[in-house]
Amino acid sequence: MADLLPPLGTAQTDGKTKVDEKVDYSNLPCPVPYEELHREAIMSLKADNFEGLRFDFSKGLNQKFSLSHSVMMGPTEVPSQSPDTTIKIPTAHYEFGANYFDPKLMLIGRLMTDGRLNARVKADLTDRLVLKANGQLTNEPHMSHAMFNFDYMGSDYRAQLQLGNSALIGATYIQSVTPRLSLGGEVFWAGVPRKSGIGYAARYDTDKMVATAQVASTGTIAMNYVQKISDKVSLATDFAYNYLSRDVVASVGYDYILRQSRVRGKIDSNGVASALLEERLSMGLNFLLSAELDHKKKDYKFGFGLTVG
Amino acid sequence: MATNKRTGAGKSGGRDSSILAKIANHEIANKGRRAACDAVYVSKKLLRSTGKAAWIVGTSFLILVVPLLIQAERDQMLGEIELQQASILGPPPPGALQ
Repeated sequence: MADLLPPLGTAQTDGKTKVDEKVDYSNLPCPVPYEELHREAIMSLKADNFEGLRFDFSKGLNQKFSLSHSVMMGPTEVPSQSPDTTIKIPTAHYEFGANYFDPKLMLIGRLMTDGRLNARVKADLTDRLVLKANGQLTNEPHMSHAMFNFDYMGSDYRAQLQLGNSALIGATYIQSVTPRLSLGGEVFWAGVPRKSGIGYAARYDTDKMVATAQVASTGTIAMNYVQKISDKVSLATDFAYNYLSRDVVASVGYDYILRQSRVRGKIDSNGVASALLEERLSMGLNFLLSAELDHKKKDYKFGFGLTVG
Repeated sequence: MATNKRTGAGKSGGRDSSILAKIANHEIANKGRRAACDAVYVSKKLLRSTGKAAWIVGTSFLILVVPLLIQAERDQMLGEIELQQASILGPPPPGALQ
């Protein structure tokens, strides 16, 4: 493709920005990874609301190595037969974690008191190829699983191959089509429930807004839109429809990033209003408050927590 | 109907109770009673649904808007304090911590 560079050397500033918008198709930016396509919307809308107490303490022993301790106490929901009632069982657990961060290698391990071990590895094998592995071992039989991802980053595309235990194979590919639009697709095949699926995704972003859409043969259609109103405020909205199970959910949320705190709130079409407040009390000390009101089921959850380090 | 009532009023004396009973059991009185019952029922329902809506709106406002206002106000006060300090202390020296 011919380079559409400006022929005039003496262009004015707004002339120059207009001319910069002439697309150079051989030099497109690398797109966002496929699973992070909707990351702005997830940051605003899928904030992790929790119930009960949460305390995280992380201490760095070294420049690369750090340990973390976290305590979580609160009720956890158990799926119940009737959709009206929710059964909550109070649980409490402690999780010990160790992290090793290197520019080329990242290792994360977590061990919980209920016997679950979770490990994640991210290694840069070459400049463009990244290996990610994720494993979880549990006490219960047949609940352990592992997943390996190979990501290749090209100049304006990304490809990923995913292998999991119990015969799960997936592949995703995303390509920048213009400097703002990127399109991608994914294919997966699961051996145990013999299912295969295919999906497509598109993402359009400018520096003020991001819009993404995803369609998959598992029945989900999801669209979301995030608008950045100023550098402190952004609003997001999301629409998800499952054409197989006929579930529709739409939600609207906001994300205010202030100097000492971050407030995220969201309201849903299922009648759920939720909010998460993170406040920086002092250097390295963060205070969290989470609230979730489900007006349809009359289920109210509140949590508070402290994060140190 | 009005003439009936007037002739009924003419027959006073020992037939008071039956006249009152006639009036009370009259068609219009029944309609009026039914209308009053319906009005009470509808107004109770309206009050209940307004109360429910007010509760939902109020608690959601409390969760979604109040923390935001509090934090925005604190951020603004912090900005004012910084502005005051900057005007009192003057510009920072070139090697200062920001």
